[in-house]
Amino acid sequence: MVTQLRRLWVVPPIVFALFFVLPLVGLFVRALTDGDVGSELGSGRTWDALWLSVFTATFSLGISIAFGTPLAYMLARSRSTSMRLAASLLDLPLVLPPAVAGIALLAMFGRRGYAGEPLEGAGIALSFTTAGVIAAQVFVSAPYYVRTAYAGFVAADPRFEGVAHTLGLSRWRTFRRVTLPLVWPALAGGAVLCWARALGELGATLLFAGSLPGRTQTMPLAILAAFESSAGLAGAVSIAVILVAVALALLVVLHRFIGSQGAYQ
Amino acid sequence: MSLSASFTTLAGDFALEIAIDAEDEVVVIYGRSGSGKTLTLRTIAGLTRPSPGQIAIGGRQVFDSSAGIDLPPQERRVGYVIQESTLFPHMNVEENVLVGVEGDGDARARWQTLRSVLSIEGLDERRPTEISGGQQQRVALARALVRDTEVLLLDEPFSALDEVLRQDLRAELLRLRKEYGLPILFVTHDLREAHLLADRVAVIDEGDLLQFDRRDEVFQRPSSRRVAELTGVGNVFSGTIDGDRVTVDGLALRADVPSGVSGDVDVAIRAERCNLRRHDPDGEMPPNSFVASITSRLSFGNTHTLHLQPEGAGPAVEIEVASRPYEVIGVASRDRWVVELPPEDLHVMTRELPDASS
Repeated sequence: MVTQLRRLWVVPPIVFALFFVLPLVGLFVRALTDGDVGSELGSGRTWDALWLSVFTATFSLGISIAFGTPLAYMLARSRSTSMRLAASLLDLPLVLPPAVAGIALLAMFGRRGYAGEPLEGAGIALSFTTAGVIAAQVFVSAPYYVRTAYAGFVAADPRFEGVAHTLGLSRWRTFRRVTLPLVWPALAGGAVLCWARALGELGATLLFAGSLPGRTQTMPLAILAAFESSAGLAGAVSIAVILVAVALALLVVLHRFIGSQGAYQ
Repeated sequence: MSLSASFTTLAGDFALEIAIDAEDEVVVIYGRSGSGKTLTLRTIAGLTRPSPGQIAIGGRQVFDSSAGIDLPPQERRVGYVIQESTLFPHMNVEENVLVGVEGDGDARARWQTLRSVLSIEGLDERRPTEISGGQQQRVALARALVRDTEVLLLDEPFSALDEVLRQDLRAELLRLRKEYGLPILFVTHDLREAHLLADRVAVIDEGDLLQFDRRDEVFQRPSSRRVAELTGVGNVFSGTIDGDRVTVDGLALRADVPSGVSGDVDVAIRAERCNLRRHDPDGEMPPNSFVASITSRLSFGNTHTLHLQPEGAGPAVEIEVASRPYEVIGVASRDRWVVELPPEDLHVMTRELPDASS
């Protein structure tokens, strides 16, 4: 009796796993029975959305890495109180609802926004453009990268860097030869999170960049558009499974790449 | 080669003030943890910036606040090894050693020599996690010496190792010192290690340099009560100068009283310098002696530490007796003894005024 009771601990994990697996099963079954994945794959609109999604998510990741890595490093290595305060604010964007992020971007960079209006005068438009999609994605997804990279840099003992300096390695070479290999797993993990979050971005993009096919309509927005159209759920699931398949494939490739670059084990 | 450094380094509300120099010798920086030992090395290495001060390595000024000189660590030519392994975990042994000297043929040749001097042959391809702690520190030493190093800064480099390994590495360090002839600053809180390695000892406490002198001078003639306590003298008594005698707890003792010292003094004698004699009620008492009883005995294997209380005048003393005499004179079998404090081993120090800040 007692041993049987002890086995009960396996129930919550199984229930929990089913909660995630069943909807995906439902998605694929629905797509195969009601949907028409074949014709969606033949549709130029779907391909446009897919290409836009992969392009913008990757571009956003590039920006997050280029600007976020130095920021994370600076926050992790600084001992000043103001920097510590700044580091504690890193979690804030994560709790900001995407819709709020979209509104905030509109308020500042929209056509009538404080910075948007002068920018528009200079011929630079962000809102309702592909650049706006990227801006919305960076705003929402970069914190995932910076947060993870920051934790990685904090965990990498700065004494390694000090010793490297005494060995004659310049600051840049120390970063490239010592620090970067030490934090590589964290950076790679953060990059995957960031890219995945950007790929799934919906709310901020919709508000700030709209859902213009070919320009700002990424896959999540295309799914939403299909769901709201006459095609309804059947149309939406077909696009959804394509996105899931592509995302899974790219994740596998990314993990392979990270594994091969890999960290010392 | 030589090193000379005098500076003040502030870290939070801790102030380190130090003036130290070294020729081709081992200078041990000795103190408790938190006394500023590590900060001293970091400042010399250029990893922490002092406030005012100046540091010269091999005759080159590497830091001089008044002249605006502050060379980065890359240009100071210091070898820096700390207690924790700082071998880069993603590089193998050889990559670790040569990472700062890639393309330097001389360094590569030096590495060949160091490999055999430090007995770390055949490990080139191994990762740091695949070699022992002792080997890791040997590799770290090789890495510190493979460049044109002009001073070696060692921050408790052997403390994380077990005793047998530590002994080996200490002996090896003494060999290296002979072979390479360069100043070595060695930080430790281990008295035995300090004694074994040091040519000179710098005793630091709470950021202040208390005494910097030849090893035997520091251990036998501490400059103050605090140095005596830190270096484990065992007995520090309060006394007063009375002519050519020092009175301690009512007992007038003969001692070498330095000229100019008078009034209240501190008197130190190392525990192993005190003599124990059998008490002979009819015999004559030797000078500087008194009758006392053992109140506690601690056995450390090769030595015994005894605490004794005087019967009449005289101080309570701690005495260290080696195992052989302990057995020969039969210390275990009786408690009442005559304690003798040889005049030449009594060290008389001016009493420090109580620190105004504490």
